[in-house]
Amino acid sequence: MSMIEFKDVEKYYGDFHALKDINLKIDAGETVVLIGPSGSGKSTLIRTVNGLEEIQEGQLIVDGFDLHDPKTDMNKIRKNVGMVFQHFNLYNNKTVIENIMLAPRLVLKRDEAENKRIAMELLERVGLADKANNMPSALSGGQKQRVAIARSLAMKPKCLLFDEPTSALDPEMIGDVLKVMREIAEDSDMTMLVVTHEMGFAKAVADRVIFMADGQILEDSSTEQFFKDPSNERAKKFLSQVANH
Amino acid sequence: MNDFLNALTPDNLGYLMQGLWITVAVSVLSIVVSFILGSVIGIVMFEKIPYFSSLVGTLNNIVRNLPLLLIIFFTYFALPQIGIRLPVFWSTVVAMSFFEAAMLSEIIRGGLDSIDKGQFEGARSTGMSNRQTMMYIILPQAYKKMIPPLISQLISLVKDTSLASGIVLADLTFRGQVVYAQNSHYIVPILVFMTFCYFIANYLLSLLAKRLDRRLA
Ligand SMILES: Nc1ncnc2c1ncn2[C@@H]1O[C@H](COP(=O)(O)OP(=O)(O)O)[C@@H](O)[C@H]1O
Ligand SMILES: [Mg+2]
Repeated sequence: MSMIEFKDVEKYYGDFHALKDINLKIDAGETVVLIGPSGSGKSTLIRTVNGLEEIQEGQLIVDGFDLHDPKTDMNKIRKNVGMVFQHFNLYNNKTVIENIMLAPRLVLKRDEAENKRIAMELLERVGLADKANNMPSALSGGQKQRVAIARSLAMKPKCLLFDEPTSALDPEMIGDVLKVMREIAEDSDMTMLVVTHEMGFAKAVADRVIFMADGQILEDSSTEQFFKDPSNERAKKFLSQVANH
Repeated sequence: MNDFLNALTPDNLGYLMQGLWITVAVSVLSIVVSFILGSVIGIVMFEKIPYFSSLVGTLNNIVRNLPLLLIIFFTYFALPQIGIRLPVFWSTVVAMSFFEAAMLSEIIRGGLDSIDKGQFEGARSTGMSNRQTMMYIILPQAYKKMIPPLISQLISLVKDTSLASGIVLADLTFRGQVVYAQNSHYIVPILVFMTFCYFIANYLLSLLAKRLDRRLA
């Protein structure tokens, strides 16, 4: 069953045509990596999936709901579609554990003891149990991102979106975050859509790689196929550039 | 020194303290009402609802640019002409709340604007509603940032209650005038006493602000 389906989707910012004729289907449980040069529309595309950006034309079906239909309750979809941001976006006014417990308490009405148990379990899993009562400002970038991932997981979503989760991190922090993401991809039946420049991660974890440029999807291939021999010329060029870095 | 003792007789003191009580009562009521109303207006302006927000913003700007005394005159002298007759105490509260709500809403909108958009996106992407996001994430952070300008606005509110002595509200300022009208030797003692009262009221307000600041931190 498909978790995310774009059908002839067009997205504009004012007059600017940001997404052009997007057709894309991601099955439940798949891990898909989205790459492309800066400004190609990767963030725009991934943000339409949980309604942070609206589309103007076409159909976007997520978890069975049509996002373009005004009757669709966005909060219901977001409950099942988590997102991890480049700049973490942890709540500055809440401790680490409160960051994780807040949405399950308010949205899922999860029992408080159960909520705490799950939050602590998740903090163990990302290696930050000892930071439970710290404020986010006391954490390093890599630690913040791991808390942000734990916060998304606490909702037990069906799908997780990652928008350049390691781009704002110091190099020595990146490994820990990628390790957590890799474990999620491997341990669970979570659907993952990941925008990243980490080609090692893509090769190791992705089922498919999508290449975007100028608001269009230029290539959509299996990971093996993509890294061996991309059919699109721009994808080929892009790959050789990132590989040289 | 003699003037002080003569001016601040138990009778006069009691009379003045009742005035202070009226000043405090008007202030507290106006602070509560204007804070709630100002938050609502500030949020409406912040949310940028098509047409509605800019209409509210324009009206708000007009009110902010009127002299407070004019609004007090309006609620006391003009409203009765259209059949709304309020006692002087309540017409002061209404005027102050209305004017201060306009002032506070601008501070509140500014505070909301200063919160990083990522805080919204983080909250919305976990399925929290707009109302929950505002209540648990955005407003607490915004209020914390706004405490200094809010407090200085509330301190001017307390001081501005004295304008209502112009419509003979028997507040501290009005009663002070009544007392020193009896004897010109009383002017300095009474003014010193009034200064002291306003200072204490506002000092307590700033202490409260400090405690709030620590609690929201
Ligand atoms: N809120 C916005 N308003 C106007 N233009 C935007 C907005 N967000 C992104 N854009 C434009 O859309 C294009 C794609 O941006 P983005 O999706 O952020 O690309 P990427 O994530 O691939 O770097 C860019 O040209 C960018 O300037
Ligand atoms: Mg981007």
